[in-house]
Amino acid sequence: MKKTLKFHLISILAVLGFVFFWYLMTDVLHRVNTLILPGPVDVFRAFLNKMTNTRPDGGTLPEHTLSSLKLVLAGYSLGILVGMPLGIAMGWSKWFDRFFRPLFDMLRPVPPVGWIPLVLILFGIGMSGKVFIIFFSTLMPCILNAYSGIRQVNPTHLWVARTFGASRAQQLFRVALPSAIPSLFTGLRVALSTSWATLVAAEMLAAQKGLGYMIQTNRMLANADNILVGMLLIGVIGAIFSLILGLLEKQLAKGR
Amino acid sequence: MKHKGNRPVNRARPGRDARREKALNFFCGAAGILTFLALWQLGATYSRFGRFIPGPIEVIPKFFLSFTQPIGVKRMGGHILASLARVAAGYSLAAVTGIAVGIVTGRSRVMNALLNPFIELIRPIPGIAWIPISILWFGTGETGKVFIIFISTFTMIAVSVHQGASSVDPALIGAAKMLGASRSRVFFTVVLPSCVPQIFTGLQTGLSLSWMVVLAAEMIRSEFGVGWVITAGNNSYNMAQVLVGIIAIGIIGLVLANALRALERRLCAWKEG
Repeated sequence: MKKTLKFHLISILAVLGFVFFWYLMTDVLHRVNTLILPGPVDVFRAFLNKMTNTRPDGGTLPEHTLSSLKLVLAGYSLGILVGMPLGIAMGWSKWFDRFFRPLFDMLRPVPPVGWIPLVLILFGIGMSGKVFIIFFSTLMPCILNAYSGIRQVNPTHLWVARTFGASRAQQLFRVALPSAIPSLFTGLRVALSTSWATLVAAEMLAAQKGLGYMIQTNRMLANADNILVGMLLIGVIGAIFSLILGLLEKQLAKGR
Repeated sequence: MKHKGNRPVNRARPGRDARREKALNFFCGAAGILTFLALWQLGATYSRFGRFIPGPIEVIPKFFLSFTQPIGVKRMGGHILASLARVAAGYSLAAVTGIAVGIVTGRSRVMNALLNPFIELIRPIPGIAWIPISILWFGTGETGKVFIIFISTFTMIAVSVHQGASSVDPALIGAAKMLGASRSRVFFTVVLPSCVPQIFTGLQTGLSLSWMVVLAAEMIRSEFGVGWVITAGNNSYNMAQVLVGIIAIGIIGLVLANALRALERRLCAWKEG
């Protein structure tokens, strides 16, 4: 107990030391150009200012955050609803696997960012275009992990179920799916972080709102403090997402 | 039909069954891909999307032509090489530091306490979100792109290696020590080899990530590279060029992933079977 306390202390001191060094270099000794790297105080002030001020990018911080969250959650849940059943079907049914896997292998190596221009042409730069991109970036990791999760089910367990007269559907829902849960969660986690990154990219390329749009606009105006605020917020939201999924996994995948 | 899924015993002429299975897989897969291409072509010819998006009959020859006719300042081969060079610079930097940091934090609790907060701080920020600040810091040249690839790949490799290094079987280390191995010998013959699978996991995910990040960086600001081919096509409403770029990205991504997997199979032969 005492030992962990010591290590926590080292961590806290390291972070404080870093922030102090940052403060020293920028605001006290002026060794770094604050236009390029503003000090911690400036960044905090920019954060408070951005909470209510819509300038220069046409939205307050909560507005941008809400817009990004709405898009990512819409696309992500659509992607799960389509991707998980598709991956499970591919892992479970031989015929499905035969027809779709080569096609899937062909489309998989293209990162979702590459589809952005195409999707924007087809669906416009509004809500639906971005939701579609997020949907697509969620789809691939979901399919991939659901597929391998079902494929790695211990065949002995399936034989036992069949010996006791379980129907094909019972085998799937009572045996295969429960044992694939950890894999399904890996898919959910990977999908969430790729879709968050992809959304930021999509907003940087074409948007009027959102955190990605905010940091891109401030880049053009060379407001480094606002960029740092946006980046840190993007990071914090990403961390919260993975925290929530981790808790959910602990609840649902008990004893596995 | 009902129990065809995973038949435990392969009855009657296994050789012939396997060959039939292979042929079936091939034809079904080809049918799937051809259906996709046909739907794409039909959509391009007959639906209103055709105004924006050309069909495969137009795009696929253009893809091959792009290797002889320049797009912008380079031919397709040049664009691919330029993107790969950026990835190589940022990725190799990230691999070296990521493996070093991962092993150090995995083996020493003090170093872990010191460095882990920073890794956890950087990790959730997607590489793409670093693009604006890196343009401000390093300008639009090569340094900024290498930096973005480095920063997004580094944490991923470090975290994966850390997991490997912190879970080395202590009994193995104890046995080596008891047999009189020096500290460096223990490190090179026990600790490092048992981290290899996690090192590869990190390298693998890191490589596909850095390929994605370089594209994003090139799409947002560059003069050449595969990502530029896509944005340039987009800006001039040349959708065929966008699709040609997407095909190139997919092929390179596939080659990169398979190359690393082949290397892993050579170096971690014990993992299979």
